[in-house]
Amino acid sequence: MPSIRIVVCAKEVPDPDAVNSYAVAGRLEIGDDGKTLTQTAIPRLMNAYDEQAIEAALRLRDAGAECRIDVVTAGRDAASLLRHAAALGADEIAAIDVDASAIDYHVAARLLAAYIETTGGADLVLCGRQASDDDQGVVPALIGERLGMPLITVARDVQLADGSAVRVTRVTPDGDEVVEAACPAVVTVSSELGPPRYPTARQTMAARKKQATVLSPGELGVGDEEMAPRVELVRQFVPEIHGNCEMVTGETAVEQAANLIAAFRESGVLS
Amino acid sequence: MSAVTACTWGAGSNETEELLTLARKLSSDGGGEFVWAVVGPADAAALQETAGKHGVTRIDRIESAALESYGADAYVEALAAYCEQREPSKLLFSQTFDARTVAPRLAGRTNTPVVMNALDLASGDEGRLLVTASAFGGDTRAVYRVAGDRAIVCVMANAVAAEPAGTATTPAIERVDVTPAGDERVRVVEAARTEGPRLEDAQVIVAGGRGLGDAANFALVQQLAEALGGMAAASRPIVDDGWTDAAKQIGLTGKIVRPALYIAAGISGASQHMAGCAAAKTIVAINRDPDAAIFRYARYGIVGDCVELLPELTKQVGR
Repeated sequence: MPSIRIVVCAKEVPDPDAVNSYAVAGRLEIGDDGKTLTQTAIPRLMNAYDEQAIEAALRLRDAGAECRIDVVTAGRDAASLLRHAAALGADEIAAIDVDASAIDYHVAARLLAAYIETTGGADLVLCGRQASDDDQGVVPALIGERLGMPLITVARDVQLADGSAVRVTRVTPDGDEVVEAACPAVVTVSSELGPPRYPTARQTMAARKKQATVLSPGELGVGDEEMAPRVELVRQFVPEIHGNCEMVTGETAVEQAANLIAAFRESGVLS
Repeated sequence: MSAVTACTWGAGSNETEELLTLARKLSSDGGGEFVWAVVGPADAAALQETAGKHGVTRIDRIESAALESYGADAYVEALAAYCEQREPSKLLFSQTFDARTVAPRLAGRTNTPVVMNALDLASGDEGRLLVTASAFGGDTRAVYRVAGDRAIVCVMANAVAAEPAGTATTPAIERVDVTPAGDERVRVVEAARTEGPRLEDAQVIVAGGRGLGDAANFALVQQLAEALGGMAAASRPIVDDGWTDAAKQIGLTGKIVRPALYIAAGISGASQHMAGCAAAKTIVAINRDPDAAIFRYARYGIVGDCVELLPELTKQVGR
């Protein structure tokens, strides 16, 4: 089997569980700029779906595919994300030297596609289905269009057939669907793939020595005129929820259930 | 002339009238002519009736043999050709599962800015489009400003309430010639099973979450759903843990539903989940934690153990 190249695109995001804890506690706040979350205590980590995209690549390697796995991110200060990728088993880790807050996902996709193209192309591009900060999920489609590759979304399982085709089980609203496409292709990975592995202590140690390749947009052939964002975040706010919950009480579950059903009947929810 | 164009596959889905309502609002907010682009086969009389009710000025029919059933490559190619011919300034889709693929791909193909998860649209300074979209799993709303005249937007289900136009129209129907190749690069090897009723159509839904304690207790959710003549559903954590299948998942990354009655058992009420069920007419929350976020969305709440309450409700409903 010839060796293939898998490129995984990864993004760093504020820990969604921490964001959600603040939100649930009603303490999520937006800063003075009107668009950035203020909680400095929220750690930043690799987008969970992207971690699962790396996991999908590692499983292909475990299954015997002779492959090189490269992980790339568009943004500076990505050292910890890339070290984690290296510890998991990435052959090359690369950062594109841009201020992630100054670009939009069109620019990000343009840069990631340029990285793939100028570094020898890819047989398979794996991405998380969406990032847990903006939830947009458009970068994989934009990369696919830029590189002329077909797109397969929301994978729970990714297999290679003789290195020349990819077979994917997708999670659709109607249940699982199995599809196949010739490589090269872009595949987005969903949480249904299952939890990603943890690197061992030895892998984590070894990863510290791994040098990241750092490339500027210019080195990727992306000119200044292509760096201007067209979708710009101008404001962010926490939506208000107007609760009017009537608590149904009772000494026992039997009583609570009876009182709820009585409330249903009274209000016409149940006839 | 600039146009706000709502685009659907055939006559569309439950969300078509919401999409038309939002498109009309944007078009009267200085967005230009109000067009409905329909891809693939659809009943002309029914289209004209719905379009007229919503004040559409023109229906563009995008038809070809390759568009008779959904195929991502054919749809993207056809819509790219449509965009070249008609130059819609704002192209709006309902964010269905397939639109999540087609809209961003079309954006890439036509080099047009795209925004997903939209909840509201407005014209800002110099007519630039402002899109309010859900972000952080529904914990926040992000307002994006789109540069230039053109944009592609995917609108979430239940973003707005469908409302007919003040004045009905008799829209013209125009045929748009496109000839997509119809060769799909992604081949379906095993189709998804589409049998049975859909959660999106259910009037009563009982949904279970981590508060059920373990996988076996999901049966309690199914029993109450059955007793109420409804359907069982689940939160994402228990789908991830394999307690039930992904087709039952409610939420931002699952299904968006709007039943008359939604009973959430052992679900904390994370925004991610509520994005899928907040439009239910009556939400009932059963949770052991009196501070659970779900009570902020609920009409009726019970602080208690859903493992005890679900069987009791099943028993009493049956009486």
